[in-house]
Amino acid sequence: MSDGPFSALRENLTGALMTVSSYRDDFLIQYRHYESQRDIFLSQPEGYDNDPFIEQLGFITHVADCYPDVSKKFPQDLADLLLRHHNTLEPDLREKLVQCLVQLRNKDVIPSTALLQTLFPVLTTTNSKQLRSQLYHSIVSDIRNANAKTKNHRLNKTVQGVLFSVVEAGKNSPDAVVGLWAVKVTRELWRRNIWDDARTVEIIKEASLSANAKVMSGGVRFFLGVDKEKEEMDESSDEEDYNDSLGKLKHQAGINKKTKKKQAQMDRAIERLKRKERNKHKPSVLNFSALHLIHDPQGFAENLYSMHLAKSNTKLSMEQRLLVLQLVSRLIGLHKLTVIGIYSYLLKYLTPRQREVTRFLVAAAQATHDQVPPDLLEPILRKIADEFVSEGVSGEVATAGLNSIREICARQPLAMNESLLQDLTTYKGSKDKGVMMAARSLIGLYREVAPEMLKRKDRGKTATMEMKTKEKLRFGEEAPGTIEGLDLLEKWYEEQKQKKIEEDGEEAAVEEDEEDQGWVGWDVESDSDDSGSWVGVPSDDENDIEISDSEDEKPSVNSKKSKASEKGVASKMDVNEDASKKNDDSTVPATETDANKLMSLATTRILTPADLANIAKMRAAADLQKTSAKSVLALRNEEAVDESIIEGPKTRGKSDKEARLAAVMEGREGRERFSSKRGKTLSEKPHSTTNKEKARKKNFLMTLGQAKRKQKRSLMEHRRILKAHVEKQKKGK
Amino acid sequence: MSKITVAGVRTNVKELLTFSTETKKRNFLETVELQIGLKNYDPQRDKRFSGTVKLPQVPRPNMSVCILGDQHDIDRAKHVGVESMSVDDLKKLNKNKKLIKKLARKYDAFIASENLIKQIPRLLGPGLSKAGKFPTPVSHNEDLAGKLTDVKSTIKFQLKKVLCLGVAVGNVGMTEDQLIGNIMLAINYLVSLLKKGWQNVGSLTIKASMSPPKRLY
Repeated sequence: MSDGPFSALRENLTGALMTVSSYRDDFLIQYRHYESQRDIFLSQPEGYDNDPFIEQLGFITHVADCYPDVSKKFPQDLADLLLRHHNTLEPDLREKLVQCLVQLRNKDVIPSTALLQTLFPVLTTTNSKQLRSQLYHSIVSDIRNANAKTKNHRLNKTVQGVLFSVVEAGKNSPDAVVGLWAVKVTRELWRRNIWDDARTVEIIKEASLSANAKVMSGGVRFFLGVDKEKEEMDESSDEEDYNDSLGKLKHQAGINKKTKKKQAQMDRAIERLKRKERNKHKPSVLNFSALHLIHDPQGFAENLYSMHLAKSNTKLSMEQRLLVLQLVSRLIGLHKLTVIGIYSYLLKYLTPRQREVTRFLVAAAQATHDQVPPDLLEPILRKIADEFVSEGVSGEVATAGLNSIREICARQPLAMNESLLQDLTTYKGSKDKGVMMAARSLIGLYREVAPEMLKRKDRGKTATMEMKTKEKLRFGEEAPGTIEGLDLLEKWYEEQKQKKIEEDGEEAAVEEDEEDQGWVGWDVESDSDDSGSWVGVPSDDENDIEISDSEDEKPSVNSKKSKASEKGVASKMDVNEDASKKNDDSTVPATETDANKLMSLATTRILTPADLANIAKMRAAADLQKTSAKSVLALRNEEAVDESIIEGPKTRGKSDKEARLAAVMEGREGRERFSSKRGKTLSEKPHSTTNKEKARKKNFLMTLGQAKRKQKRSLMEHRRILKAHVEKQKKGK
Repeated sequence: MSKITVAGVRTNVKELLTFSTETKKRNFLETVELQIGLKNYDPQRDKRFSGTVKLPQVPRPNMSVCILGDQHDIDRAKHVGVESMSVDDLKKLNKNKKLIKKLARKYDAFIASENLIKQIPRLLGPGLSKAGKFPTPVSHNEDLAGKLTDVKSTIKFQLKKVLCLGVAVGNVGMTEDQLIGNIMLAINYLVSLLKKGWQNVGSLTIKASMSPPKRLY
């Protein structure tokens, strides 16, 4: 548009902007011109020559912010034009109108809300694909820009409100696809980490309950996949940004003149980039998965189930129903919901011939958690065992069956009964690798969880030993946790005490602030800046590091000593707070069991970072890293099950004869036939008859005499000849 | 606050107790709550944590517990002096959501007989687990009174939609030492649950129902 009739004027205006008032009259003329053009256009929209009008629009938009009083109605005019006539307008003009509105927004002539309120209705109603994509990108980028520096909560709230009402309005009609755009915009903004709150999730939740299949599956897909997308998005953009900008800086530094100022600028820029990079890797304050942010998950799951799954006359395709099932099962597992109907619903799909059966198996596993009554799950397990795991089925099927049984039992071990389990474990000797591994992992699971249900020979040594102390699983029981490795720490303190007594003969005289020692330098490893605020930790960085180096050895020994004396005979104790703590213990009326003793450590002492590190070390040394039964089950229900877990390892099946032959032939390609070299060389060139050939072709009658003579040989002669033959062989002739 | 010491906890607890029992005594038993703020914790990437731990002292003795039981357990409940409901009582609720919600609200915790608990989801639907009050099983040969104190003294750490959590660890009627014991155990257990230990802990605060908060860490 640079060569238009107003270019000179526009340049003057936008370039200098100093003489705004002096051009006022010119602008007024132009504005009136625009108004008349608009009126002409409105009177006969068809067959109107757009070009001058487009130009006019561009000009007014550019200078509108200079004359706010005159062009007050201009944005509204544009909006009306677009809203009322977007279907009849020429594509050029339509595009220009959107551009102008975005420009006005960028110049802050109109607020974001006004822009979105204009664009969104058009987006949802227009038939033009081109316009739609233009509008979509304008909307998303406008919201991004508004949230670039800090979150613009007010704008977000209004936009989310608009989107929500759009989705809600079309919720009950199967033909309304408006919600699709709301979902799309929301998804994009969520992925870019611009929206990450519960309100956003509410929009999608509403969309998932929509009667329109497309809108619904859009919403469901959001819940199932968006977290991963977000992560990928973060990772890819991080790397690029950092490398790009750093490279650019270095390039510039190589070209431009090198001065101290430039160097300083460069250093500062690099520093800034690095800081930005560091901050990116810090977890954001609120980075919850969309699934966690749902309000009233129980109601949502129930609605999803009854709307899309339970009804037999839904028009949803198999794929869509599977998606919903996936989401419902995920919700049930994650929030420990009770949707009783889903288990019988699943039951009818669990047969090896069912299409996409692994996804049904996955759903069955995901929908299991420890508050599901075992009697609901038992039929599922029974059916899987009957249909999938039997002698007649192929290895893959049996693997999938066993793996899904294991996944279900890992979430609710009570669903299994003893005889079924012992049946299934016999597959541990299967020749199929997948089946064997699956059966073994099932055994492994029950060794941890309930070894008494296994056959004796399957229990293994440790499980048998632990069996006596282990309490039986009960439905609804949530065993209170303990601080793992606390006993080891206790023992360690005892040892230190012994050592101490041996060394000194007397109690430790130095009772410094032993607890402080455990804290020294604890947080140096993390690169957070907090360390400066620690008492006793010098703010100087170098010192910091020194301390951290020594932390493992000396200070901890100190603290151990002091700890030891604390645990020692009460009379030896100094008069400090620990003494009173000890007394407190003795007042506890309970009998002095081991558990209580352990408790006493946990109630009298704050575990310092050094203590925790110690525990971890000792646990590793004692090979206790193996998790206890409780932790095997803990939060298992919150994880999604991957299809590959159910399918097990991919094994190559036996091939048929043709395939084997083909493989053989392929191996022969590019090499000579295996045969005698002499024959090959002879066949290549013309040659006389060889001795062998002559012998072969010799007349039979001529050989008779020699054969007869052979028979007439005396024994001595025979022996001599044989001997000579042996000699000859030995010589290697 | 840089670090937490036993002495520091003790002074704070002392102050808290003097405020609530002397300076401004209230007409009810104030509960002492431990409030925890997390940091450097990414709920999406780090594994979520949840855990229960039994405190040495019952933090809220006035907690109301209801026994959902068979005849034997109902008799025992009467003996101990706890309210109880039978299967028929539960069936009378008729899966009515409002009634079940009312029931869940009325009590702080539930205990169910071992043979009954499996039916609870069917009888009551999601109401109880929605309120986070799914019953604890008790068998006939377990001591009911002991089970009651167990249930009352068990606290649960679970992260919800925000990066902070609060648990009741005691009350102002407890002695200083008892309260300190409870607080320390809770803190130690929490720290052992977190993947990065103390590096995940942003703040620790104790507060009685009507007192100003006291920051420990």
